[in-house]
Amino acid sequence: MKKTEKTQHSIPSNIRYIMKLMFSISPGMVLMDIGLHILNRLPSKLVSVIGIRYIIDEVQGGGDTAKIIGAVALIAGIMLAASVLNALGYELYIRKEQENLYRGIHAKLYEKAVSLDLAAYDNSSFYSDFILAVETSSENIQFILGQVRNYVTEILSFIIISSVLLSIDWVCLVIVLVFVLAFIPVGRKTGTLQMQRREAATEKHRRSDYFARIFYLPEYAGETRMNGITPLLMKRFSQSADEITKTQKKYVKKLDILFFLQDASVQVVGFMLVLTGYIGYRTIVSKTMSAGDFVATFNGAVQIGSAVMYLTVYAIRNFTERSKMIEKYRTFLACPVTMKDGAHEAECGEPETIELKNVSFTYPGNETPSLKNVSMTLRPGEKIALVGYNGAGKTTLTNLLLRLYDVSNGEIRIGGRDIRNETIASHRNRFAAVFQDFKIFGATVGENVALSPDYDEKRVMDALRHAGFRKELPNGTETVLLREFSDDGMMLSGGEEQKIAIARAFYKKCPYVILDEPSANLDPVSEYELNRSMAEAAKEKTVIFISHRLSTTRHADRIFMMENGEIVESGTHEELMAQNGKYAYMFRLQAEKYTEK
Amino acid sequence: MKQKTKGEQTGTFRDIAFAVKTLIQASPRFIFGGIVTMTAYWFFTAYVQEVLFLKKLLEIITEGGTFRDFMGLLLMFCVAALLAKGTDCLGDYFSSVGGKVVYKKLNEKIFRKAAEVDIECYENPEFYDVYKRATEILTDDIYHGVQFAVAEMVSGTFSGIFLIGYVATVDPKLLLILLSVAAVVAVQGRKNRLLYQRDREMTPNKRQKSYVQRVVFLRDYAKDMRTSDIYRVMQKRFHDAIDANRAVIGKYGPKLALFEVFAGVAAEVVPVVVTYSYAAYRFIVKRNLKVADFSVLMTAINNIKDVVRDVSGSFADLQERALYFRNLKQFLAYESHVVSGEREAGTLETLEFRNVTFTYPGAEKPSLQNVSLSITAGETVAVVGKNGAGKSTFVKLLLRFYDPDEGEILWNGVNLKEYDLASVRKQIGTVFQDYKVFALTVNENVLCRECENEQDRKDSEQAMRASGAYTKVSTLPNGADTVLTREFDDKGAGLSGGEQQKIAAARMFARPFALAVLDEPSSALDPIAEYKMYESLLKATENKTVVYISHRLSSAVLSDKIFVFDAGTVTESGTHDELTAKGGLYASMFAMQASAYRETGEEETS
Repeated sequence: MKKTEKTQHSIPSNIRYIMKLMFSISPGMVLMDIGLHILNRLPSKLVSVIGIRYIIDEVQGGGDTAKIIGAVALIAGIMLAASVLNALGYELYIRKEQENLYRGIHAKLYEKAVSLDLAAYDNSSFYSDFILAVETSSENIQFILGQVRNYVTEILSFIIISSVLLSIDWVCLVIVLVFVLAFIPVGRKTGTLQMQRREAATEKHRRSDYFARIFYLPEYAGETRMNGITPLLMKRFSQSADEITKTQKKYVKKLDILFFLQDASVQVVGFMLVLTGYIGYRTIVSKTMSAGDFVATFNGAVQIGSAVMYLTVYAIRNFTERSKMIEKYRTFLACPVTMKDGAHEAECGEPETIELKNVSFTYPGNETPSLKNVSMTLRPGEKIALVGYNGAGKTTLTNLLLRLYDVSNGEIRIGGRDIRNETIASHRNRFAAVFQDFKIFGATVGENVALSPDYDEKRVMDALRHAGFRKELPNGTETVLLREFSDDGMMLSGGEEQKIAIARAFYKKCPYVILDEPSANLDPVSEYELNRSMAEAAKEKTVIFISHRLSTTRHADRIFMMENGEIVESGTHEELMAQNGKYAYMFRLQAEKYTEK
Repeated sequence: MKQKTKGEQTGTFRDIAFAVKTLIQASPRFIFGGIVTMTAYWFFTAYVQEVLFLKKLLEIITEGGTFRDFMGLLLMFCVAALLAKGTDCLGDYFSSVGGKVVYKKLNEKIFRKAAEVDIECYENPEFYDVYKRATEILTDDIYHGVQFAVAEMVSGTFSGIFLIGYVATVDPKLLLILLSVAAVVAVQGRKNRLLYQRDREMTPNKRQKSYVQRVVFLRDYAKDMRTSDIYRVMQKRFHDAIDANRAVIGKYGPKLALFEVFAGVAAEVVPVVVTYSYAAYRFIVKRNLKVADFSVLMTAINNIKDVVRDVSGSFADLQERALYFRNLKQFLAYESHVVSGEREAGTLETLEFRNVTFTYPGAEKPSLQNVSLSITAGETVAVVGKNGAGKSTFVKLLLRFYDPDEGEILWNGVNLKEYDLASVRKQIGTVFQDYKVFALTVNENVLCRECENEQDRKDSEQAMRASGAYTKVSTLPNGADTVLTREFDDKGAGLSGGEQQKIAAARMFARPFALAVLDEPSSALDPIAEYKMYESLLKATENKTVVYISHRLSSAVLSDKIFVFDAGTVTESGTHDELTAKGGLYASMFAMQASAYRETGEEETS
């Protein structure tokens, strides 16, 4: 806690935050959960102390039958009520509300996730840190609720039992507290050690889990079978597993010694020897304590011991540990979005001029810029191609056009307006984009093509046809793709997936189309057909095309050759060939085999 | 029906036995340490401390013993307690360390098997699921769960016997209370089945929820999420899944609540109330119950109840977790269809496919049909065709990832199956389309073993020069000793796809090979890199036999032979000139691709 950074919230603040959050989602559940827990746990704790004492003393003191029957009936009544209410409340209400809680917590996270700047993903700690926190958030939040209700119950049991003990003999309470409190530091120490052990293990497991993954993932199976790397991987795994064992040994040794010390001192010496000796003395020698008191004190000591231990050590440890996760959850939700909406709603109508003025861009965390001082103007309806080496900045340029990132310097204008003046959603809505690393979603074909829950069936089928998709769809546009949800989902080959992705560009009604390596997975026939139908369908649109296959870019109105983040050549194919520069060199290399004759 | 449940029962016991045996084999310390710890703990707490201790002390108090007797007994118990705690901690140490040994040993067992099973296993969802569940054993939850349950059952039974023995000495009739507890255990099975059913009904929703989560958070999907409305699709799926779960929970709620009420009353309320009433009766009416017995009777009954609950709960847990071990057993028992032969394969001279037909398991249509072709050592062969024509399947059969259903593949005239698998694969160098690099050093990635001496370094460097990877590698901070990927080394080098592909290609050159199989090795590369890789592959494979698969038909022009695949059969074969002259599929594909490259060539009008 002392190590907390300035920006972090205190543990109580985090707990308050989470309790408020849960309360706002489902107040009934929070209250019922805590209430039922107390009702369920507290009576049995009290019975072992107060109930027994009462009955023993009552019996030894002559025994009023009616009183004893009354006491038994009361205990029975409370227990019965607690048991029934607990069963009904949990199964009929709480369990169902937990789903709502999950919904509330996650919906918040999802909203945030999709509104984040893409740049947030470039930060590598974002993955390891936030994703984990997010994945475990509902678990953590429910855990906090569990701890809070335990906390309340233990406080109540501590107060009640202490006052019983106090009424019997204050010395007993002092003995109990002295031993328990004296060992709080040891308890804390074990808590810290356990936490350190977990952290160390997580780090080590990352390594060993990686090797487990290699053996597990299908994409490595061919490679490992052909190249004989298995023994090396096995060896590396063994090494990391041995490291794990070593770490475990180191921590467990310390931990077990501390556990022993604590148990031996508090429970054995404190409770069994000193406390019991004292009350034995009072019962046998000074005869100032009844048998009922003896039993009640003994049982009470055990209860108080565990309550204090929980309140001062375990609860703190649990809260501290989870608080870190809650902190991440809060930080994630508070993560600033640097990309700001403009005030204007961009129109999704006819293409307008797109203008890049001295655009430079450096990815967050990188030193060298990915784009340097790029200027270009795309006329409405123009078809342009971006070509060049891997890593020349082609994809980066499209990322900026889509405002997935904001330019570091310079500006991008569409129809004369800086794209930062538009709302992000309306700006992006003007584009249809097929990315190089496109993804197929576990959803219906219709949803996959329209990328929206609502779609026009006929237009989806048209778009698929244009994209050259010919596989039969058993349920038409309702056919589910991938096996994520249903085992009869349809699996597609790489080429077919690519065609679905391309169909998205055909489907969307918008003035601008970006195609990043759309034909990488296509055979020559499909590629050829794609070029045709794209030319046809996108007649009116401005199209930005990225391809390594210069045959597909050749007919573009203008070709921009990029190198190291700069545009080094531009013009029509014929102009660039005449210029005899880098593009011409590249084209001839690729064309060589086709044109040799 | 009865028969079946019985069969299931013995199956379960067998699974449990297998689970325990497997864990003991991996690390005896793990299981036995767990049992010792738990027994020391439970026996001491539930019997010695809470029952015996209090009873003996109270007997001294109420029967007029001296304080000296009292203290003597107290000290004896304290010594016993220290011993018990010590045993507890020692057992914990052994089982905690043993747990990690289990992690290592079981993983190794699984890896060894995984490295040997057929590729098919990875493509067959059912088997893959078995594999997945087997690996899930290694999550703490499962194997620690088995250990915990076994330990709890042993220690519970042990302390249970003593507790019941004690209660019987007070009044054997009291044990009738156990009937009430037993009734709960008896219906527990039905409740568990109900829970299991409920969970199964929720499984699709759970899958859906976790899928949505993945899509929303993974970087791979981030661009689509931002540039389209697909998030709304996911959002809808998410809410549907939650609503569906709520409906399922609602459906099972009343029944489960009934069980819970019954369990609560029978296992919690009845024992307490009956014990109190009984004790009160003997106390007041009969006046023949000792205070000592009364005080601990309650605790003893309570502890018996807990023990019974825990033991039966443990058994249920054990059953559930042992299921994962059944998967492990199935996984380990898997017999590869692709079995290694005995003969040592000689250096490749000829390779022939004779009437090869192959259907993927579970598929309806064959992926290869009656394919016949032959390759002679030293030839460069191009395999071309449309998507899904069977090119990759051809390669998989050639590498013996699968065996043909019909027909045969002949290596130097002998069926491929007769050869020692390793002796064949050793001769084949491969570069796959979906290249993979490992989180190891560059040298290790290339050599596929540790880099031990100067010679190794030189070999690796040479291989990288051949594939074109060296230019980039030489600029890395630690050169060829740099660790690749940032999996667990933040200083690791994250290379671009093209560079990774070159490193993967270098593997081929790091060892001698007779046959090179190149499956779309250049698809991730820009034109110049592609050209260079093609050139260097060509140069490095001079005089070698090469099978080249590519959509880029330019690579076919110079090859000695071209095989054109269409819908699972070889429809054309010959040299570029022959096939162009023939005017078939190849000729038209080539014309399409070439048209755009011809300086003067105008596209034909359609």
